Amino acid sequence: MLNGNGYFCTTSADFMRLLTCFTVAFLFTLARQTYAQGLAPGILDGFMKGQRKASLAILASQETYDTYYINTAETKNPNLGTVTTQALTVVGTYGLGYDLDLIISAPYIRTQASAGYFPKQEGLQDVSGTLRWEAFDYKLGKTRLSWLFAAGYSMPMQEYVSDAMVRLGYGSKNLDGRTMLHYKAGPFFITGQYGYIRRGQVTLDHVVNNYDPSQLNPNSGMKVNVIDVTELIIRTGIVTKRVSIDVWGQQQTPKTEGTNIGPGIPFPTNGVGFTRVGTTAWLKLFGKVGITATTSTTLSGRNTGKATRVNGGLVLGL
Amino acid sequence: MKTILTPILLSSLLLWLTGCKEPTIDEGIQSFSVPTSVDADGGNWRTIVLKSATDITVPQPLPITSDAYKTELTAIKNGLLASTPEQNTAVNYWAVGGVVRWNQIARQLVAKYNVPPGYDYATGQVSPADAANPYAGAPYAARIYALLSVAQYDALVVAWRAKYQYNRPSLERQGVVARVPILDVPSYPSEDAAIAEASCQMLAYLFPNEVNWLKAKATEHKQSQLWAGASVPSDIKAGEDIAIALASKLVERARNDRFAASTDPGNTWQTALAKAPYNQKWKSLEIPERPPLLPLAGNVKTWYDSTAIFRALPAAPPATTSAEFQKALSDVRTLSDSRTREQWRIASYWENGPNTYLLSGLWNFLAEDLIRQGGQNELRTARTYALLNRAMQDATTATWRAQYTYFVPRPAQLDPAIKTATTMLNTPSYVADRATVSTAAATVLAHLFPDEATRLNAQAAEASLSGLYSGTQYQFDNEAGATWGTLIGQLAVTGAKADGAK
Repeated sequence: MLNGNGYFCTTSADFMRLLTCFTVAFLFTLARQTYAQGLAPGILDGFMKGQRKASLAILASQETYDTYYINTAETKNPNLGTVTTQALTVVGTYGLGYDLDLIISAPYIRTQASAGYFPKQEGLQDVSGTLRWEAFDYKLGKTRLSWLFAAGYSMPMQEYVSDAMVRLGYGSKNLDGRTMLHYKAGPFFITGQYGYIRRGQVTLDHVVNNYDPSQLNPNSGMKVNVIDVTELIIRTGIVTKRVSIDVWGQQQTPKTEGTNIGPGIPFPTNGVGFTRVGTTAWLKLFGKVGITATTSTTLSGRNTGKATRVNGGLVLGL
Repeated sequence: MKTILTPILLSSLLLWLTGCKEPTIDEGIQSFSVPTSVDADGGNWRTIVLKSATDITVPQPLPITSDAYKTELTAIKNGLLASTPEQNTAVNYWAVGGVVRWNQIARQLVAKYNVPPGYDYATGQVSPADAANPYAGAPYAARIYALLSVAQYDALVVAWRAKYQYNRPSLERQGVVARVPILDVPSYPSEDAAIAEASCQMLAYLFPNEVNWLKAKATEHKQSQLWAGASVPSDIKAGEDIAIALASKLVERARNDRFAASTDPGNTWQTALAKAPYNQKWKSLEIPERPPLLPLAGNVKTWYDSTAIFRALPAAPPATTSAEFQKALSDVRTLSDSRTREQWRIASYWENGPNTYLLSGLWNFLAEDLIRQGGQNELRTARTYALLNRAMQDATTATWRAQYTYFVPRPAQLDPAIKTATTMLNTPSYVADRATVSTAAATVLAHLFPDEATRLNAQAAEASLSGLYSGTQYQFDNEAGATWGTLIGQLAVTGAKADGAK
């Protein structure tokens, strides 16, 4: 089954083949969380839920930036000011089996700039569904090493504005595949994960009318390619039954160059990447109710805001 | 089931995926449309910059019975048997249509060079315009499309006249099986060589930084005709010579059309602003403020009757103190506060702002489909574009004339709470160029493609409204622009009715 439809990448690998591969991946495994704008990676972790256990988290976040990157150069724009994005995200996690979790999330986002003429944008962003599979679990004395896989899909819940400096999201449908190594020794844990986010094409509101040297000709219509990214996340901390605290670093790297932020350039075609670090804490209040908080900052970036983010929420075990 | 094998396979799959390329979006495989008419009388059509097709003499070709010609023809036949994949790609590319392809090339270059000065974070200043290319904006783009189309059209009228004067039979009539459909017209001189050379020379004048790239394109275009089995070298040479003779005349017109002064190096716009017959003065809404875009582009020489165009300069809009104006302003605000996604889409579709091929470029793009569906040959395609682009340049010039006569503030200057769906342009508000240009364009195209008139007029109406949806124009900007655009379009239609083409 795995060797049927071309497992060797050719230069002209097309989307259908990728779709097939992802479907295969999906059938074979499954796991984890698509990174959506409204989510800090506070919920992408290596901890399995457990069979028939569920949790619901309601997270509120605020992200601001007044500096952004054009390609990798920092800039400020007096015609933009400070961009503030607030999100309310609902995340549901359910253990389909002892080694298989389903994670669903949906954010509602509001974003606005303090100067200039960019209108505020507000609305539902991308819903994502992810299956997380603990493929391999190895006991080393009193410690445990597990190997997990995740596959996710996300899509816009409405046709929001994606081609603007102040926007809700990419507007693309995305496939997300990743693998994680999770090591836990007593309260200490460390998780490393590597993922690939395949972003589908986006139909702009207008015919492609900008100059892009990679554009084969100016007649490609209204569709543009959204640059895929690879993602590396490392997090480490301590976790007990009452509390957890960790630090993490997240790096997204665009797969290909893409375009850079500029007038006339469709935002979805920009090559976007960043390196962020943050810290997340969770505290059990009583029974099955806990609270969580995350703060993060951007160390470097590419065609994105140099954002700092705070995020807090309620986690309910069900 | 839970073996180590599955995770390893999945990991390899993931690694494999990360090694794959992004999909390429290209134009796909283009169909070759076979023109519905050869327009044998095309040599008598009225030229634009040339007084008539007889201004350029095309020498008599060698007869097809001559040895020199026979050698040429044999070489073409042999070449067809030994064509390379690169040659085939070039043949297929240019077979879509020389005029259309060069129009696409021009659009690409306009988008590349249509770069207005921007804010420079490093210095906190407005970055100066590129000295080699100090122009950007609608007047810049519209002029390029017009000059290119006129060059192509005049070159083709001369070529058509010579074709039917000398009647050298097409290669297909001499037993050559061409690689792509070829219009059944006499082969001498080559229309493709005339298009290639005229377009290359015109664009090289307009984009001096791109000369080498343009020359390479033109060479490929001309050679594609040999590889396709459409022409022999002497056909190509004659076509080229027409364009070379024509180019100097077009460059002369371009030099004297007053566009070079449109950047207003003497800053006379400030005096004009002080004297503007309107009660409120426009100011730049950029931070930091910068001078307006091409303030003297309203003085550029028009293609159609300038007296008729400027006599129709609309009167000043209602004063900002009037109830009528306040109503118009509050309409923009209401729209801005409650803009729907569809209104945003419309605003974005018609915007074509800085760093794009601009609105006139979009209309050239839209005309492409009409030309293909209409099965227009190269000459007729050039005529369509020449009519369309002259009307659009005049409409743009007219817009600029009104903007820098009245200096009407943009809505957001008077109500800073107004947010815009598209870039705030650094020009005064009245009249709306999207309305003037689109209405003129639709009027011309509706005359040329009467079956599409309803759709075209609906597009023009949508384009006219789009400035209101953007939050950058009052409805009176749009209405005055549309009225003026109709008049300019009608001037072009009158010209089209009398140019000899049926």
